[in-house]
Amino acid sequence: MRPLKIAAIVRKEGMLEFRRKNAFYGILLFCLVLVFLNYKAFNVLRGLEWDVMLWMTVLFCGINAIAKSFIQDGAESRLYYYTLFDPKEVVIGKLIYNFIFLSGLFILVYWGFRFFFDAGIRRDGLFFAGAGLGLLGLSIIFTFIAAVSGRAEGNQGVMMSVMSLPLTLPVLLLLIKITAVAMALITDTSVDGDVWMLLGIDLLLAGLLLLLFDFLWKD
Amino acid sequence: MPDHSFKCIMWSSIALLMFPYTASAEVSDLDFLRSTGKIYSVIAGVVIVLLGIGVYLWRIDNKLTKLEKQIKDEHETN
Amino acid sequence: MLLSWWKILGILILLYVVIGGLSVPLNPGITDLNPGQLYAGQQKEVTITAYNTHFKTAQPTRIWLKSAEGKFLEAQNVQILTENKLTCHWDIAKNMEGQQYTVIGYNNIDGSFLVPDGIVILKNDSAEEANTAEAQFTDVNTADFVKPSGLRFPYRSILNETIRNTFFHVALWMAMFVLYLLGLYHAIQYLRTGKNEHDWWSVAYNKSGILYGILGLITGSLWARFTWGGWWTNDVKLNMAALSMFLYFGYLLLRNSFNDAEARARISASFSIFAFVALIPLVFIIPRLTDSLHPGNGGNPALGGEDLDHTLRLFFYPSILALILLGCWMAQLKFRMQKLAIKAGIYT
Repeated sequence: MRPLKIAAIVRKEGMLEFRRKNAFYGILLFCLVLVFLNYKAFNVLRGLEWDVMLWMTVLFCGINAIAKSFIQDGAESRLYYYTLFDPKEVVIGKLIYNFIFLSGLFILVYWGFRFFFDAGIRRDGLFFAGAGLGLLGLSIIFTFIAAVSGRAEGNQGVMMSVMSLPLTLPVLLLLIKITAVAMALITDTSVDGDVWMLLGIDLLLAGLLLLLFDFLWKD
Repeated sequence: MPDHSFKCIMWSSIALLMFPYTASAEVSDLDFLRSTGKIYSVIAGVVIVLLGIGVYLWRIDNKLTKLEKQIKDEHETN
Repeated sequence: MLLSWWKILGILILLYVVIGGLSVPLNPGITDLNPGQLYAGQQKEVTITAYNTHFKTAQPTRIWLKSAEGKFLEAQNVQILTENKLTCHWDIAKNMEGQQYTVIGYNNIDGSFLVPDGIVILKNDSAEEANTAEAQFTDVNTADFVKPSGLRFPYRSILNETIRNTFFHVALWMAMFVLYLLGLYHAIQYLRTGKNEHDWWSVAYNKSGILYGILGLITGSLWARFTWGGWWTNDVKLNMAALSMFLYFGYLLLRNSFNDAEARARISASFSIFAFVALIPLVFIIPRLTDSLHPGNGGNPALGGEDLDHTLRLFFYPSILALILLGCWMAQLKFRMQKLAIKAGIYT
């Protein structure tokens, strides 16, 4: 594993993203429309509903954004990657890129939700620590499932959602609980344990991703 | 196509009209299943399990028959 | 014939479980006490409705109130209405106010049967002139009670006869889990060795597991409807089951979207391992959530430690074994079919 190569992949993904401006702006628009839809559907959104809807919106934006990270790679570009890079470098690079992109989307959705609704976050540190760990977990799941569904024939978008959404439940449940504690919606003294557990899940998922990606990659 | 949609509308309206009756029929069914310590709901469960395994085996059987036919056809053509 | 002894064993055990599990009677129990609240210093008739009892054919049935200290107050004037219904009277003294009493009944055919904390004694404001005498609590030696002969399943108040679902529903989940584990083992072996046989075994076991999962959801839903009144309850096990069903359906969907058998085997094996391991943390997370968000949200009443008594075990474990054997049999059929198809050069 060579850090420079990983950086090269992250850079290349970013370049690709900006070259295909349509797809990039499409995702941004999708997020904004979802936020606006939430605003018009609820009119007033606060407390636990605010929290849950925020993460639901991030989840759906994330699926759409990350689905294309492998799906748009054809057989030729796979071959190109294969000759130049180690599979572990490819997956770490893509994971880092997806994490950064998902975090960007989260910040966008978050500000959208702050713009339209009153949030009431009491413990910023806990909120963003939980959010960061949760986003990392989500991006690992999405990266793996995108790699899986990228190899399938037929409707890859649907495959992506069907396979990844049930898997996100452990991360999502912890995420909602931690952020709800940070918003003082529920009082729980064991929230540190939840943060550690989320970190543990992230590590477990990352280990699985690294271990199993080789099998998805080789032909 | 219009014929098809007509049928759809007809059947769904019939279903909607029937709904109150089916709902009341359900209540009496439930009472039957609850009688004598709910033993009939247990029997319904056992029947579902055995039926489910049976249907699964039936489907495997059908697929095997199809496969055998395919293999036989191939032998004849060769 | 010699090699398939386990298939015959599976059928025989299943037969034993179905026949035995449905024919062993339930212990007698009390389904209803009317009224369940009595007032101190009052004499009141209580109607007791029981299940599986023989009040008419048995020697006189005796009924007691048992206090927390283990003292007994016998009911007077016991009148048998039917085999399952009787009325009786208690003289409720002043000093019994504010306490809960277990109702115990006994006769020589049914043995003893009881409702823990069945009757509450409330304070009586109006009847000042009522009897002020101390209640005549006595000692009763419960060891002298004759136990009814033969095997009997325990009686649980809401569950009644559906306690038998332990063999037909709960065992289904255990068997499903074992089949999924076998599927997982073969998926790992496939990735390690690359032998096609492991892939075929893996799908075959997973499909048997999915069948059991579907049957488990249907029977569980039925059970919930007639005991707790809803088709779906927010139970931990139920939601885990639903989630695993979603994932295994996704697995089947994934397998159907490949034209290349090798890629299909490799990628679906990776997905099934990832999905299985990724859901393991849920086992630890959900209790944490239920503790903080839903206090007092209990588990499954049929499997709570002491509840699984030894008569149930007599059928529960064999039932799991029978279902596992049948599941392996179905998986073997699938596997052999796949082998035949490959031999004939047919892509399935």
